[in-house]
Amino acid sequence: MAKWPWIFLSPFILSYLCFMLYPTVYSLFVSFTGWTAANILEKPYVGFKNYIRIFTADPLFWKAVGNTAKLMLMAMPLTIIAGLLMAVLMQNIRKGKQMIQTINFLPYVITPIAIGLLFAFMFDWNVGLVNTALVKIGLTDKNINWLGTPQHAPTVVALMIVWKNFGYFMVLYMAGLSTIPSDLYEAAKVDGANAAQSFFKITLPMLRPITVFVVINGVIGGLQLFDEAQQVFMGAGSNAVGGPMRSCLTVIWYFYDTSFKNNSRYGYGAAIAFSLFIIIAAVSLINVRVLNRKEDRL
Amino acid sequence: MKSRWRFLKYFIIVLVCAVSLFPLVSMVIMSTKTTEEIFTGLSFTPGTHFLDNIKTVLAPNFLVAYKNSLTVSICSSILSTLFSAMAGYALSVYQFKARNTVYNFVLLTMMVPSSIAMIGYMNEMRILGLTKSLVPLILTWLASGFGVFWMCQYITGSMPREIIESARIDGSNEMNTFFRIVLPCVKPALGTQILMIFLWSWNSYLMPLVLINRASNYTIPLYIQTLGNEYVNDYAARMTGLLLSIFPLLLAFMLGSKTFIRGLTAGAVKG
Repeated sequence: MAKWPWIFLSPFILSYLCFMLYPTVYSLFVSFTGWTAANILEKPYVGFKNYIRIFTADPLFWKAVGNTAKLMLMAMPLTIIAGLLMAVLMQNIRKGKQMIQTINFLPYVITPIAIGLLFAFMFDWNVGLVNTALVKIGLTDKNINWLGTPQHAPTVVALMIVWKNFGYFMVLYMAGLSTIPSDLYEAAKVDGANAAQSFFKITLPMLRPITVFVVINGVIGGLQLFDEAQQVFMGAGSNAVGGPMRSCLTVIWYFYDTSFKNNSRYGYGAAIAFSLFIIIAAVSLINVRVLNRKEDRL
Repeated sequence: MKSRWRFLKYFIIVLVCAVSLFPLVSMVIMSTKTTEEIFTGLSFTPGTHFLDNIKTVLAPNFLVAYKNSLTVSICSSILSTLFSAMAGYALSVYQFKARNTVYNFVLLTMMVPSSIAMIGYMNEMRILGLTKSLVPLILTWLASGFGVFWMCQYITGSMPREIIESARIDGSNEMNTFFRIVLPCVKPALGTQILMIFLWSWNSYLMPLVLINRASNYTIPLYIQTLGNEYVNDYAARMTGLLLSIFPLLLAFMLGSKTFIRGLTAGAVKG
Protein backbone atom coordinates (compact mmCIF):
# COMPACT_ATOMS: atom_id res chain seq x y z
CA MET A 1 0.00 0.00 0.00
CA ALA A 2 2.80 2.41 0.88
CA LYS A 3 4.22 2.34 -2.62
CA TRP A 4 1.04 3.49 -4.38
CA PRO A 5 1.16 7.23 -3.67
CA TRP A 6 4.72 7.28 -4.98
CA ILE A 7 3.75 5.40 -8.12
CA PHE A 8 1.06 8.01 -8.79
CA LEU A 9 3.42 10.87 -7.96
CA SER A 10 6.34 9.58 -9.97
CA PRO A 11 5.47 10.97 -13.45
CA PHE A 12 5.10 14.47 -11.99
CA ILE A 13 8.14 14.25 -9.73
CA LEU A 14 10.38 12.68 -12.35
CA SER A 15 9.47 15.22 -15.00
CA TYR A 16 9.93 18.02 -12.49
CA LEU A 17 13.36 16.73 -11.51
CA CYS A 18 14.48 16.22 -15.12
CA PHE A 19 13.04 19.26 -16.85
CA MET A 20 12.76 21.89 -14.13
CA LEU A 21 14.94 21.19 -11.13
CA TYR A 22 18.00 19.91 -12.96
CA PRO A 23 18.05 22.82 -15.45
CA THR A 24 17.50 25.26 -12.57
CA VAL A 25 20.41 23.87 -10.59
CA TYR A 26 22.52 23.87 -13.73
CA SER A 27 21.58 27.51 -14.43
CA LEU A 28 22.52 28.37 -10.85
CA PHE A 29 25.93 26.79 -11.43
CA VAL A 30 26.27 28.70 -14.74
CA SER A 31 25.45 31.97 -12.97
CA PHE A 32 28.71 31.64 -11.03
CA THR A 33 30.73 31.32 -14.23
CA GLY A 34 31.69 33.55 -17.10
CA TRP A 35 30.37 31.08 -19.71
CA THR A 36 29.70 32.62 -23.13
CA ALA A 37 28.70 31.24 -26.51
CA ALA A 38 31.92 32.59 -27.99
CA ASN A 39 33.93 30.33 -25.72
CA ILE A 40 31.48 27.47 -25.38
CA LEU A 41 33.88 24.85 -24.05
CA GLU A 42 35.05 26.81 -21.04
CA LYS A 43 33.05 27.76 -17.99
CA PRO A 44 35.48 29.85 -15.93
CA TYR A 45 34.37 30.08 -12.30
CA VAL A 46 33.96 33.70 -11.23
CA GLY A 47 32.28 33.37 -7.83
CA PHE A 48 29.78 36.09 -6.99
CA LYS A 49 31.23 38.51 -9.53
CA ASN A 50 28.15 38.43 -11.81
CA TYR A 51 25.79 39.08 -8.90
CA ILE A 52 27.95 41.83 -7.44
CA ARG A 53 27.99 43.54 -10.81
CA ILE A 54 24.21 43.23 -11.24
CA PHE A 55 23.39 44.65 -7.84
CA THR A 56 26.05 47.37 -7.69
CA ALA A 57 27.26 48.29 -11.14
CA ASP A 58 24.69 47.40 -13.78
CA PRO A 59 22.62 50.45 -14.73
CA LEU A 60 20.58 48.46 -17.28
CA PHE A 61 19.32 45.93 -14.73
CA TRP A 62 18.08 48.69 -12.47
CA LYS A 63 16.71 50.62 -15.40
CA ALA A 64 14.68 47.51 -16.27
CA VAL A 65 13.39 47.25 -12.69
CA GLY A 66 12.62 50.98 -12.72
CA ASN A 67 10.82 50.68 -16.07
CA THR A 68 8.60 47.98 -14.59
CA ALA A 69 7.81 50.25 -11.66
CA LYS A 70 7.01 53.10 -14.03
CA LEU A 71 4.83 50.94 -16.31
CA MET A 72 2.98 49.58 -13.29
CA LEU A 73 2.35 53.07 -11.90
CA MET A 74 0.92 54.04 -15.28
CA ALA A 75 -1.12 50.90 -15.93
CA MET A 76 -2.24 49.55 -12.55
CA PRO A 77 -4.54 52.35 -11.31
CA LEU A 78 -6.41 52.45 -14.61
CA THR A 79 -6.66 48.64 -14.84
CA ILE A 80 -7.93 48.36 -11.27
CA ILE A 81 -10.43 51.20 -11.66
CA ALA A 82 -11.74 49.82 -14.96
CA GLY A 83 -12.00 46.26 -13.62
CA LEU A 84 -13.64 47.31 -10.35
CA LEU A 85 -16.02 49.73 -12.05
CA MET A 86 -17.19 47.08 -14.49
CA ALA A 87 -17.58 44.50 -11.71
CA VAL A 88 -19.69 46.89 -9.64
CA LEU A 89 -21.81 48.00 -12.60
CA MET A 90 -22.51 44.41 -13.57
CA GLN A 91 -23.51 43.33 -10.07
CA ASN A 92 -27.27 43.57 -10.65
CA ILE A 93 -27.42 42.75 -14.32
CA ARG A 94 -29.35 39.61 -15.13
CA LYS A 95 -29.13 39.24 -18.87
CA GLY A 96 -25.93 39.12 -20.85
CA LYS A 97 -23.58 38.85 -17.88
CA GLN A 98 -21.78 35.89 -19.37
CA MET A 99 -21.43 37.61 -22.74
CA ILE A 100 -19.98 40.79 -21.24
CA GLN A 101 -17.52 38.68 -19.24
CA THR A 102 -16.49 36.78 -22.35
CA ILE A 103 -15.96 39.95 -24.40
CA ASN A 104 -13.82 41.67 -21.78
CA PHE A 105 -11.87 38.53 -20.94
CA LEU A 106 -10.97 37.98 -24.59
CA PRO A 107 -7.84 40.21 -24.57
CA TYR A 108 -6.45 38.15 -21.67
CA VAL A 109 -6.35 34.91 -23.68
CA ILE A 110 -5.18 36.24 -27.05
CA THR A 111 -1.60 35.32 -27.99
CA PRO A 112 0.40 38.20 -26.45
CA ILE A 113 2.69 38.60 -29.42
CA ALA A 114 -0.36 39.08 -31.64
CA ILE A 115 -1.48 41.88 -29.31
CA GLY A 116 1.93 43.49 -29.82
CA LEU A 117 1.64 43.40 -33.59
CA LEU A 118 -1.93 44.70 -33.47
CA PHE A 119 -0.98 47.63 -31.26
CA ALA A 120 2.05 48.34 -33.43
CA PHE A 121 -0.33 48.87 -36.30
CA MET A 122 -2.86 50.91 -34.31
CA PHE A 123 -0.13 53.22 -33.02
CA ASP A 124 1.77 53.41 -36.30
CA TRP A 125 3.34 56.85 -36.84
CA ASN A 126 2.00 57.45 -40.33
CA VAL A 127 -1.00 55.24 -40.98
CA GLY A 128 -2.10 54.12 -37.50
CA LEU A 129 -5.73 54.39 -36.49
CA VAL A 130 -4.89 56.28 -33.30
CA ASN A 131 -3.05 59.10 -35.08
CA THR A 132 -5.66 59.28 -37.82
CA ALA A 133 -8.39 59.60 -35.20
CA LEU A 134 -6.50 62.14 -33.09
CA VAL A 135 -5.87 64.36 -36.09
CA LYS A 136 -9.47 64.07 -37.23
CA ILE A 137 -10.82 65.08 -33.82
CA GLY A 138 -8.29 67.92 -33.78
CA LEU A 139 -6.46 66.91 -30.59
CA THR A 140 -3.15 67.15 -32.40
CA ASP A 141 -2.20 68.73 -35.69
CA LYS A 142 0.74 66.53 -36.50
CA ASN A 143 1.11 62.79 -36.10
CA ILE A 144 2.61 61.60 -32.82
CA ASN A 145 5.57 59.23 -33.04
CA TRP A 146 4.16 56.84 -30.42
CA LEU A 147 6.58 53.97 -30.78
CA GLY A 148 9.75 55.82 -31.71
CA THR A 149 10.22 58.22 -28.82
CA PRO A 150 11.02 57.40 -25.18
CA GLN A 151 8.34 59.85 -23.95
CA HIS A 152 5.46 58.09 -25.69
CA ALA A 153 6.55 54.45 -26.00
CA PRO A 154 5.87 53.51 -22.33
CA THR A 155 2.34 54.92 -22.73
CA VAL A 156 1.61 52.44 -25.51
CA VAL A 157 3.01 49.53 -23.51
CA ALA A 158 1.03 50.63 -20.43
CA LEU A 159 -2.14 50.82 -22.54
CA MET A 160 -1.49 47.29 -23.77
CA ILE A 161 -1.22 46.11 -20.15
CA VAL A 162 -4.48 47.86 -19.27
CA TRP A 163 -6.31 46.50 -22.30
CA LYS A 164 -5.11 42.97 -21.73
CA ASN A 165 -5.69 42.73 -17.98
CA PHE A 166 -8.75 44.72 -16.95
CA GLY A 167 -11.18 41.95 -17.97
CA TYR A 168 -9.24 39.50 -15.79
CA PHE A 169 -9.38 41.97 -12.90
CA MET A 170 -13.08 42.43 -13.55
CA VAL A 171 -13.77 38.69 -13.17
CA LEU A 172 -11.70 38.52 -9.97
CA TYR A 173 -13.56 41.50 -8.51
CA MET A 174 -16.91 39.99 -9.52
CA ALA A 175 -16.00 36.82 -7.64
CA GLY A 176 -14.95 38.99 -4.69
CA LEU A 177 -18.18 40.99 -4.72
CA SER A 178 -20.27 37.84 -4.64
CA THR A 179 -18.65 36.81 -1.34
CA ILE A 180 -19.62 40.02 0.50
CA PRO A 181 -22.67 39.18 2.64
CA SER A 182 -25.63 41.35 1.68
CA ASP A 183 -26.71 41.93 5.28
CA LEU A 184 -23.63 44.15 5.66
CA TYR A 185 -25.17 46.53 3.13
CA GLU A 186 -28.59 46.25 4.71
CA ALA A 187 -27.18 47.07 8.13
CA ALA A 188 -25.37 50.07 6.66
CA LYS A 189 -28.58 51.22 5.01
CA VAL A 190 -30.45 50.99 8.29
CA ASP A 191 -27.72 53.12 9.85
CA GLY A 192 -28.34 55.72 7.14
CA ALA A 193 -25.33 55.14 4.91
CA ASN A 194 -25.64 56.26 1.30
CA ALA A 195 -24.36 54.35 -1.74
CA ALA A 196 -20.99 56.10 -1.81
CA GLN A 197 -20.41 55.50 1.89
CA SER A 198 -21.21 51.80 1.68
CA PHE A 199 -18.94 51.48 -1.36
CA PHE A 200 -15.95 53.08 0.37
CA LYS A 201 -16.59 51.65 3.84
CA ILE A 202 -17.74 48.13 2.93
CA THR A 203 -17.03 47.16 -0.68
CA LEU A 204 -13.49 48.49 -1.01
CA PRO A 205 -12.16 47.13 2.31
CA MET A 206 -13.77 43.73 1.66
CA LEU A 207 -12.12 43.56 -1.76
CA ARG A 208 -8.70 44.45 -0.37
CA PRO A 209 -7.24 40.90 -0.61
CA ILE A 210 -8.07 40.87 -4.33
CA THR A 211 -6.52 44.29 -4.86
CA VAL A 212 -3.35 43.16 -3.08
CA PHE A 213 -3.30 40.01 -5.19
CA VAL A 214 -3.67 41.84 -8.52
CA VAL A 215 -1.05 44.46 -7.63
CA ILE A 216 1.52 41.87 -6.51
CA ASN A 217 0.85 39.67 -9.53
CA GLY A 218 0.90 42.72 -11.76
CA VAL A 219 4.37 43.62 -10.52
CA ILE A 220 5.60 40.04 -10.94
CA GLY A 221 4.08 39.92 -14.43
CA GLY A 222 5.49 43.35 -15.24
CA LEU A 223 9.04 42.25 -14.42
CA GLN A 224 8.52 39.35 -16.83
CA LEU A 225 6.79 41.33 -19.57
CA PHE A 226 8.38 40.47 -22.88
CA ASP A 227 6.20 39.12 -25.71
CA GLU A 228 3.89 42.09 -26.32
CA ALA A 229 6.50 44.72 -25.59
CA GLN A 230 9.13 43.26 -27.89
CA GLN A 231 6.60 42.74 -30.65
CA VAL A 232 5.02 46.18 -30.52
CA PHE A 233 8.41 47.70 -31.38
CA MET A 234 9.39 45.01 -33.87
CA GLY A 235 6.05 45.51 -35.60
CA ALA A 236 6.92 49.18 -35.88
CA GLY A 237 10.11 48.19 -37.65
CA SER A 238 12.53 48.72 -34.77
CA ASN A 239 14.94 46.12 -33.44
CA ALA A 240 16.12 48.30 -30.56
CA VAL A 241 16.38 46.31 -27.35
CA GLY A 242 13.85 47.67 -24.87
CA GLY A 243 12.22 50.13 -27.27
CA PRO A 244 13.46 53.69 -27.90
CA MET A 245 16.31 54.51 -25.50
CA ARG A 246 15.45 51.28 -23.65
CA SER A 247 12.47 53.09 -22.16
CA CYS A 248 10.44 49.86 -22.05
CA LEU A 249 13.22 47.37 -21.23
CA THR A 250 12.02 44.81 -18.69
CA VAL A 251 14.13 42.38 -16.66
CA ILE A 252 13.13 39.40 -18.79
CA TRP A 253 13.86 41.28 -21.99
CA TYR A 254 17.29 42.17 -20.60
CA PHE A 255 17.77 38.52 -19.62
CA TYR A 256 16.84 37.35 -23.10
CA ASP A 257 19.08 39.88 -24.80
CA THR A 258 22.08 39.11 -22.58
CA SER A 259 21.71 35.34 -22.68
CA PHE A 260 20.71 34.67 -26.24
CA LYS A 261 21.36 37.74 -28.38
CA ASN A 262 24.08 40.11 -27.27
CA ASN A 263 27.14 37.77 -27.44
CA SER A 264 25.15 35.08 -25.59
CA ARG A 265 26.69 35.70 -22.20
CA TYR A 266 25.12 32.66 -20.52
CA GLY A 267 26.84 33.18 -17.17
CA TYR A 268 25.74 36.77 -16.76
CA GLY A 269 22.29 35.99 -18.17
CA ALA A 270 21.74 33.19 -15.66
CA ALA A 271 22.75 35.57 -12.88
CA ILE A 272 20.15 38.09 -14.15
CA ALA A 273 17.47 35.37 -14.05
CA PHE A 274 18.34 34.45 -10.45
CA SER A 275 18.45 38.11 -9.44
CA LEU A 276 14.96 38.46 -10.89
CA PHE A 277 13.91 35.45 -8.84
CA ILE A 278 15.30 37.10 -5.69
CA ILE A 279 13.26 40.22 -6.41
CA ILE A 280 10.10 38.20 -7.12
CA ALA A 281 10.58 36.21 -3.90
CA ALA A 282 10.95 39.50 -1.99
CA VAL A 283 7.76 40.89 -3.56
CA SER A 284 5.87 37.67 -2.73
CA LEU A 285 7.14 37.80 0.84
CA ILE A 286 5.75 41.33 1.21
CA ASN A 287 2.48 39.96 -0.15
CA VAL A 288 2.36 37.22 2.50
CA ARG A 289 3.21 39.74 5.23
CA VAL A 290 0.49 42.16 4.14
CA LEU A 291 -2.15 39.43 3.94
CA ASN A 292 -1.15 37.95 7.31
CA ARG A 293 -1.33 41.30 9.03
CA LYS A 294 -4.87 41.64 7.76
CA GLU A 295 -5.82 38.27 9.20
CA ASP A 296 -4.37 39.24 12.58
CA ARG A 297 -6.68 42.19 12.70
CA LEU A 298 -9.81 40.22 11.93
CA MET B 1 -33.13 60.13 -11.88
CA LYS B 2 -33.13 56.36 -11.63
CA SER B 3 -33.51 55.81 -15.38
CA ARG B 4 -30.70 58.28 -16.04
CA TRP B 5 -28.44 56.16 -13.78
CA ARG B 6 -29.48 53.05 -15.63
CA PHE B 7 -28.68 54.69 -18.94
CA LEU B 8 -25.26 55.81 -17.71
CA LYS B 9 -24.57 52.32 -16.38
CA TYR B 10 -25.35 50.58 -19.66
CA PHE B 11 -23.55 53.30 -21.60
CA ILE B 12 -20.33 52.65 -19.65
CA ILE B 13 -20.67 48.88 -20.01
CA VAL B 14 -21.18 49.10 -23.76
CA LEU B 15 -18.32 51.59 -24.10
CA VAL B 16 -15.89 49.35 -22.20
CA CYS B 17 -16.94 46.30 -24.22
CA ALA B 18 -16.32 48.32 -27.36
CA VAL B 19 -12.83 49.18 -26.16
CA SER B 20 -12.17 45.47 -25.56
CA LEU B 21 -13.40 44.51 -28.98
CA PHE B 22 -12.09 47.45 -31.02
CA PRO B 23 -8.58 46.15 -31.87
CA LEU B 24 -10.01 42.74 -32.76
CA VAL B 25 -12.83 44.10 -34.89
CA SER B 26 -10.46 46.43 -36.70
CA MET B 27 -8.18 43.47 -37.36
CA VAL B 28 -11.05 41.48 -38.86
CA ILE B 29 -12.12 44.42 -41.01
CA MET B 30 -8.60 45.14 -42.22
CA SER B 31 -8.21 41.51 -43.24
CA THR B 32 -11.07 41.95 -45.71
CA LYS B 33 -9.45 44.87 -47.55
CA THR B 34 -6.49 45.60 -49.74
CA THR B 35 -3.57 47.48 -48.24
CA GLU B 36 -4.43 50.59 -50.26
CA GLU B 37 -7.95 50.57 -48.86
CA ILE B 38 -6.59 50.26 -45.31
CA PHE B 39 -4.37 53.29 -45.83
CA THR B 40 -7.16 55.50 -47.13
CA GLY B 41 -8.47 55.86 -43.62
CA LEU B 42 -10.96 54.83 -40.98
CA SER B 43 -13.89 52.87 -42.23
CA PHE B 44 -15.87 50.10 -40.70
CA THR B 45 -17.45 48.62 -43.75
CA PRO B 46 -15.87 45.29 -44.60
CA GLY B 47 -14.12 44.97 -47.95
CA THR B 48 -14.22 42.16 -50.44
CA HIS B 49 -10.64 40.91 -50.45
CA PHE B 50 -10.80 38.44 -47.58
CA LEU B 51 -10.36 35.37 -49.78
CA ASP B 52 -7.48 36.96 -51.72
CA ASN B 53 -5.73 37.77 -48.46
CA ILE B 54 -6.25 34.25 -47.18
CA LYS B 55 -4.74 32.89 -50.37
CA THR B 56 -1.67 35.08 -49.86
CA VAL B 57 -1.23 33.98 -46.26
CA LEU B 58 -1.95 30.26 -46.61
CA ALA B 59 1.62 29.59 -47.67
CA PRO B 60 3.25 26.29 -46.71
CA ASN B 61 5.16 27.84 -43.79
CA PHE B 62 1.91 28.95 -42.19
CA LEU B 63 0.39 25.48 -42.37
CA VAL B 64 3.57 23.96 -40.94
CA ALA B 65 3.48 26.39 -38.01
CA TYR B 66 -0.15 25.50 -37.42
CA LYS B 67 0.61 21.80 -37.40
CA ASN B 68 3.60 22.29 -35.09
CA SER B 69 1.60 24.35 -32.63
CA LEU B 70 -1.21 21.84 -32.61
CA THR B 71 1.22 18.97 -32.02
CA VAL B 72 2.96 20.75 -29.16
CA SER B 73 -0.22 21.99 -27.49
CA ILE B 74 -2.13 18.70 -27.75
CA CYS B 75 0.75 16.58 -26.44
CA SER B 76 1.64 19.00 -23.64
CA SER B 77 -1.90 19.49 -22.44
CA ILE B 78 -2.84 15.82 -22.39
CA LEU B 79 0.36 14.54 -20.79
CA SER B 80 0.60 17.28 -18.20
CA THR B 81 -3.07 16.86 -17.27
CA LEU B 82 -2.64 13.11 -16.86
CA PHE B 83 0.48 13.52 -14.70
CA SER B 84 -1.23 16.22 -12.64
CA ALA B 85 -4.33 14.11 -12.10
CA MET B 86 -2.21 11.18 -10.92
CA ALA B 87 -0.23 13.36 -8.53
CA GLY B 88 -3.36 15.14 -7.34
CA TYR B 89 -4.97 11.75 -6.67
CA ALA B 90 -1.95 10.61 -4.67
CA LEU B 91 -1.98 13.77 -2.56
CA SER B 92 -5.70 13.83 -1.87
CA VAL B 93 -6.57 10.15 -1.35
CA TYR B 94 -3.54 8.56 0.32
CA GLN B 95 -2.26 9.29 3.80
CA PHE B 96 1.51 9.00 3.81
CA LYS B 97 4.36 10.48 5.77
CA ALA B 98 5.79 12.83 3.18
CA ARG B 99 2.39 14.06 1.97
CA ASN B 100 2.61 17.57 3.41
CA THR B 101 6.20 17.98 2.29
CA VAL B 102 5.28 17.06 -1.28
CA TYR B 103 2.22 19.32 -1.19
CA ASN B 104 4.23 22.32 0.00
CA PHE B 105 6.84 21.55 -2.62
CA VAL B 106 4.10 21.71 -5.29
CA LEU B 107 2.96 25.11 -4.00
CA LEU B 108 6.55 26.32 -4.07
CA THR B 109 7.04 25.27 -7.70
CA MET B 110 4.14 27.52 -8.68
CA MET B 111 6.05 30.61 -7.56
CA VAL B 112 9.27 29.94 -9.46
CA PRO B 113 9.63 31.82 -12.77
CA SER B 114 10.55 29.52 -15.63
CA SER B 115 13.33 31.85 -16.76
CA ILE B 116 15.71 30.62 -14.07
CA ALA B 117 15.74 27.17 -15.65
CA MET B 118 16.03 28.36 -19.23
CA ILE B 119 19.79 28.35 -19.82
CA GLY B 120 20.20 24.97 -18.15
CA TYR B 121 17.23 23.62 -20.09
CA MET B 122 18.65 24.78 -23.41
CA ASN B 123 21.94 23.11 -22.58
CA GLU B 124 20.22 19.91 -21.46
CA MET B 125 18.22 19.71 -24.69
CA ARG B 126 21.42 20.26 -26.70
CA ILE B 127 23.16 17.41 -24.89
CA LEU B 128 20.15 15.14 -25.41
CA GLY B 129 20.19 16.08 -29.10
CA LEU B 130 16.57 17.25 -29.08
CA THR B 131 17.02 20.81 -30.35
CA LYS B 132 16.08 19.84 -33.89
CA SER B 133 12.68 18.56 -32.82
CA LEU B 134 9.55 19.87 -31.11
CA VAL B 135 10.13 17.64 -28.08
CA PRO B 136 11.73 20.37 -25.89
CA LEU B 137 8.59 22.49 -26.24
CA ILE B 138 6.50 19.61 -24.88
CA LEU B 139 8.78 18.38 -22.06
CA THR B 140 8.77 21.79 -20.42
CA TRP B 141 5.01 21.56 -19.73
CA LEU B 142 4.98 18.04 -18.23
CA ALA B 143 5.41 19.00 -14.59
CA SER B 144 2.71 21.54 -13.84
CA GLY B 145 2.59 22.73 -10.24
CA PHE B 146 -0.63 24.57 -11.02
CA GLY B 147 -2.14 21.34 -12.39
CA VAL B 148 -1.29 19.25 -9.34
CA PHE B 149 -2.64 21.93 -7.01
CA TRP B 150 -5.80 22.24 -9.10
CA MET B 151 -6.44 18.49 -9.32
CA CYS B 152 -5.72 17.98 -5.64
CA GLN B 153 -8.25 20.68 -4.70
CA TYR B 154 -10.84 19.25 -7.06
CA ILE B 155 -10.47 15.60 -6.04
CA THR B 156 -10.47 16.49 -2.34
CA GLY B 157 -13.55 18.66 -2.76
CA SER B 158 -15.75 16.63 -5.07
CA MET B 159 -14.72 12.97 -5.12
CA PRO B 160 -16.70 10.94 -2.58
CA ARG B 161 -14.26 8.78 -0.63
CA GLU B 162 -16.88 6.00 -0.33
CA ILE B 163 -16.73 5.29 -4.05
CA ILE B 164 -12.99 4.65 -3.88
CA GLU B 165 -13.37 2.56 -0.73
CA SER B 166 -16.09 0.38 -2.21
CA ALA B 167 -14.06 -0.13 -5.40
CA ARG B 168 -11.18 -1.35 -3.24
CA ILE B 169 -13.43 -3.71 -1.34
CA ASP B 170 -14.67 -5.06 -4.67
CA GLY B 171 -11.06 -5.96 -5.44
CA SER B 172 -10.23 -3.25 -7.94
CA ASN B 173 -6.50 -2.54 -7.94
CA GLU B 174 -5.27 1.02 -7.47
CA MET B 175 -4.43 1.68 -11.13
CA ASN B 176 -7.80 0.39 -12.20
CA THR B 177 -9.57 2.51 -9.58
CA PHE B 178 -7.77 5.61 -10.80
CA PHE B 179 -8.38 5.15 -14.51
CA ARG B 180 -11.86 3.61 -14.42
CA ILE B 181 -13.45 5.39 -11.47
CA VAL B 182 -11.58 8.54 -10.50
CA LEU B 183 -10.79 10.00 -13.93
CA PRO B 184 -14.41 9.87 -15.17
CA CYS B 185 -15.54 11.54 -11.95
CA VAL B 186 -13.18 14.51 -12.34
CA LYS B 187 -13.83 15.17 -16.02
CA PRO B 188 -14.64 18.89 -15.55
CA ALA B 189 -11.30 19.49 -13.82
CA LEU B 190 -9.47 17.55 -16.53
CA GLY B 191 -11.16 19.66 -19.19
CA THR B 192 -10.21 22.91 -17.49
CA GLN B 193 -6.58 21.92 -17.13
CA ILE B 194 -6.32 20.69 -20.71
CA LEU B 195 -7.65 24.04 -21.90
CA MET B 196 -5.26 25.98 -19.66
CA ILE B 197 -2.12 24.14 -20.74
CA PHE B 198 -3.29 24.27 -24.35
CA LEU B 199 -3.70 28.02 -24.08
CA TRP B 200 -0.37 28.60 -22.35
CA SER B 201 1.62 26.39 -24.67
CA TRP B 202 -0.11 27.81 -27.77
CA ASN B 203 0.73 31.36 -26.65
CA SER B 204 4.23 30.59 -25.40
CA TYR B 205 6.84 32.67 -27.21
CA LEU B 206 10.10 33.02 -25.28
CA MET B 207 10.78 29.29 -24.95
CA PRO B 208 10.36 28.52 -28.70
CA LEU B 209 12.28 31.69 -29.54
CA VAL B 210 15.24 30.37 -27.57
CA LEU B 211 14.98 26.70 -28.49
CA ILE B 212 13.75 26.57 -32.08
CA ASN B 213 16.18 27.59 -34.75
CA ARG B 214 14.80 26.15 -37.95
CA ALA B 215 11.75 27.44 -39.82
CA SER B 216 10.28 23.94 -40.23
CA ASN B 217 9.83 23.77 -36.44
CA TYR B 218 8.27 27.22 -36.00
CA THR B 219 5.17 27.45 -33.82
CA ILE B 220 2.43 30.01 -34.37
CA PRO B 221 3.97 32.78 -32.20
CA LEU B 222 7.27 32.43 -34.07
CA TYR B 223 5.37 32.55 -37.34
CA ILE B 224 3.56 35.72 -36.24
CA GLN B 225 6.95 37.23 -35.46
CA THR B 226 8.03 36.69 -39.09
CA LEU B 227 4.84 38.28 -40.48
CA GLY B 228 6.37 41.76 -40.32
CA ASN B 229 9.35 40.76 -42.45
CA GLU B 230 7.42 38.57 -44.79
CA TYR B 231 4.75 41.10 -45.72
CA VAL B 232 6.68 44.34 -45.30
CA ASN B 233 4.21 46.49 -47.21
CA ASP B 234 1.23 44.18 -47.32
CA TYR B 235 -0.60 45.19 -44.15
CA ALA B 236 -3.73 43.38 -45.24
CA ALA B 237 -1.85 40.09 -45.43
CA ARG B 238 -0.28 40.75 -42.03
CA MET B 239 -3.66 41.27 -40.44
CA THR B 240 -5.08 38.20 -42.13
CA GLY B 241 -2.15 36.09 -40.91
CA LEU B 242 -2.70 37.43 -37.43
CA LEU B 243 -6.39 36.66 -37.58
CA LEU B 244 -5.86 33.09 -38.76
CA SER B 245 -3.19 32.56 -36.08
CA ILE B 246 -5.41 33.48 -33.17
CA PHE B 247 -8.68 32.22 -34.62
CA PRO B 248 -8.68 28.68 -33.11
CA LEU B 249 -7.99 30.16 -29.71
CA LEU B 250 -10.74 32.76 -30.08
CA LEU B 251 -13.20 30.08 -31.15
CA ALA B 252 -12.24 27.73 -28.31
CA PHE B 253 -12.53 30.57 -25.83
CA MET B 254 -15.95 31.70 -27.03
CA LEU B 255 -17.27 28.14 -26.85
CA GLY B 256 -15.85 27.39 -23.43
CA SER B 257 -15.42 30.80 -21.85
CA LYS B 258 -16.86 29.65 -18.52
CA THR B 259 -14.32 26.85 -18.24
CA PHE B 260 -11.46 29.13 -19.29
CA ILE B 261 -12.38 31.87 -16.86
CA ARG B 262 -12.77 29.39 -14.01
CA GLY B 263 -9.35 27.92 -14.74
CA LEU B 264 -7.56 31.22 -15.14
CA THR B 265 -8.95 32.63 -11.94
CA ALA B 266 -8.44 29.43 -9.91
CA GLY B 267 -6.27 29.96 -6.90
CA ALA B 268 -6.61 33.72 -7.13
CA VAL B 269 -9.75 33.92 -5.05
CA LYS B 270 -9.83 31.76 -1.97
CA GLY B 271 -13.26 32.01 -0.40
